[in-house]
Amino acid sequence: MGGGGRFADIRRLPSAFVDRLISWVRGHPGVSHKSRVKTGRLLFFVPAVFLAIFFVVYPVLQTVFLGFFSGDPGSSGAYSGLDNYGRVISDPATINAKNLPWPPPLGTLLHNALWIGIHLPISLFAGLWLALILRDVRGASIIKSFIFLGMVTPMIVGGVILRFLLEQGIGIVPSFFGLIGVKSLDVNWIVRRQLTLLGLIFGSVWLWTGFSLIVYSAGLTTIPKDYFEAARVDGTSPSRIFFRIAFPLLKPITLVIVVMTLLYELKIFDVVYVAVGPDGGTLGSADVLALQMYRYGFIAFNSGLAAAVASLLTLMTLFATLLVLRRMVK
Amino acid sequence: MGQSSQASGGPAGGTDFVPKKAGTSWLIAIVLLVVGLLLGTALGYYVVPRPEARPSLIVIGPWAGTEMNAFLPVLAAFSARTGIDVTYRIYRQEALTPLLPTQFAAKQTPGDVIFMVTSFIKAHGGATGDVVDVTDLVKPSDFKVGTTAGTDLLAPVTDGSGKIWGGIYTGKVKPGFWYRQSFFTAHGLSPPTTWAQFQSLLASIKAISGVTAPIVTGDGVGWPISDVTEHFIATYGGASMHRGLTGNRTTQTVTWTSPSVRAVFANRIVPLLQAGDFSEPLTADSVALTRWWNGEFGLYFMGSWIGTWLQGLGLNPAPDLNDLRVFPLPEETGITPGVVFAGDYMFIPKYTTRLDAARQLFSFLISVDGQNAQIAQGGHVATRVGVSNTSYPPGDLAVANSLQGKEVLVDLDDTVGGTFQTTFWSQLKGLWTSPDPAGDLDGILAAIQAAVPP
Repeated sequence: MGGGGRFADIRRLPSAFVDRLISWVRGHPGVSHKSRVKTGRLLFFVPAVFLAIFFVVYPVLQTVFLGFFSGDPGSSGAYSGLDNYGRVISDPATINAKNLPWPPPLGTLLHNALWIGIHLPISLFAGLWLALILRDVRGASIIKSFIFLGMVTPMIVGGVILRFLLEQGIGIVPSFFGLIGVKSLDVNWIVRRQLTLLGLIFGSVWLWTGFSLIVYSAGLTTIPKDYFEAARVDGTSPSRIFFRIAFPLLKPITLVIVVMTLLYELKIFDVVYVAVGPDGGTLGSADVLALQMYRYGFIAFNSGLAAAVASLLTLMTLFATLLVLRRMVK
Repeated sequence: MGQSSQASGGPAGGTDFVPKKAGTSWLIAIVLLVVGLLLGTALGYYVVPRPEARPSLIVIGPWAGTEMNAFLPVLAAFSARTGIDVTYRIYRQEALTPLLPTQFAAKQTPGDVIFMVTSFIKAHGGATGDVVDVTDLVKPSDFKVGTTAGTDLLAPVTDGSGKIWGGIYTGKVKPGFWYRQSFFTAHGLSPPTTWAQFQSLLASIKAISGVTAPIVTGDGVGWPISDVTEHFIATYGGASMHRGLTGNRTTQTVTWTSPSVRAVFANRIVPLLQAGDFSEPLTADSVALTRWWNGEFGLYFMGSWIGTWLQGLGLNPAPDLNDLRVFPLPEETGITPGVVFAGDYMFIPKYTTRLDAARQLFSFLISVDGQNAQIAQGGHVATRVGVSNTSYPPGDLAVANSLQGKEVLVDLDDTVGGTFQTTFWSQLKGLWTSPDPAGDLDGILAAIQAAVPP
């Protein structure tokens, strides 16, 4: 189908606005085709650009700008260079080297890194594994729907559920360990500094696995079954089929899941806030960067420090996403 | 076009995909229907006459459930008297702290009368001009709780300017450890009068079959731990130490790292933690309350609202509140103890569009009639001079009378402000769950002191 055909489709859209727009562009015989196309593009482009400038670019630049000025309550808001960034990085709430390697609090930066290091691979491979084993199962869509419920659940509700799951006496997690005789884990995970962070990360796997399951399931349908059948006929082992056929062909899908999960983990806020409160849990043992930013901004009312954390978070998100994209696309 | 045309059932052979006419017609019909409905609704909204909306005030407070149910009759009494409707909205202090400054910056307010901690009201009074001056509505000498030593702390919210920015409503007392008389009778226990007796009582409770720990630690968010800590400070450091700690770095007369404060923690709290006398901090307060009432724990440090809470649990059979008893920590010779009285403070934001009505409601809530209506619901203690003792339910009158002759103290972490409260709670949770509380104590006290605002 040529380009004209596609435009023909657009013309058939039941939108009076689009019809009028196209007829307006075409209704000037003196205007060249190239010029009409440019004008048309501009008409579609300008509103989006304006929206992006006012609601994305300007706030981002303003946030970066704020990070260079003192935001201490009662201060005059004078230019302070990189002072806010220095204060954030040197704050034990950000990096708590004293407690390395364990137990928490290790600082928000390292906690976010732990989220990425633990939550990303588990939810990714759990989703892939479930998608593979449920591929040819009857009634798989019902099972997938149940698993996807975690993803549909608002994260605020997810945080509340996690809070109760991890509570001693009523939560299934401590009760399970109590049942099998591991008394050291039959405690309130929400207040135990050694356990809170891990509890939230593993609990969040349940909330997020549905996403990778659904995306991988969709991806698997795009791989012709002939590939798998041919490999089976040749006597290839299931693991070799997975690593040599399924996984490489799912690379673009994996890319999407990794990027989306990375963004989720770097921006994680709601689950932690609801489960452990604005202080990030006992001694800040489950604190994360977004929560730290919230505290700086809306409890301490220090706009400079909050903006510095926000800028760092944006930079890290950009860097991580670009890195993954470059590696995966190569 | 290949696959998509065929898959769609359209004509094969490379021609453009043409949507079925019927599909397009349906789409247009649906769009027209939706647009028609929207336009019709909008037209109806403007054309059809509506009854004149009665003026309604919005009051924001922290109470939910049974506590809210005990407050709504007060608002109903005000409405009956003035004809002004009042809507109550629940926002806890943790939610208001970030919300109000951003609303105020935009010259907006989510409520016309707002209950909030004193540190916030003071900070947004004269300094930022976000709070209405209520000096003409409040007469400080009308308010008194306990002895004169604590009265200044419970007065309406003032700053150095002499203006009054907020008023004190009723309040709650945090008198000590609650227990069930039936539990004590069944196990031959009695309230302690000395520290040694207190330790002995804890040991006796611990030995009872089915008891998980002598004292339940409720609500993992942190405030019950801070309340019990304040009680230890007010008893074994005395009212003067509690008052000395309540302030910013300029006004503090005692620091958290001073030897006297450390001694209260090291000699009184830490030994109990090491002995396992406090339970694991439980996250949900309803869970802690239910388990304590059912005899899994012997004691619960809580405020005078515990009866209202118990009624809201929906236990079967309903809890007999006459079974409730309370005792404070045993006093030490030479130390004047204090009792924390958590007053409920309120203010009128400058950005209210109903200033006159808001002032009427404010005046009613601080009046004798308003406070009578509230204390009659249970769980509250009046702050207004002239409130009749006959308005109190039987148990509450005993709590109110227990304040007589005592040094009354404000809630410490509510008053200090800034990030102190969240740090205080977080650090105390760390102490309560530490495998080595004695070893961690100095670091925890240093972190608390570091969070005191400049």
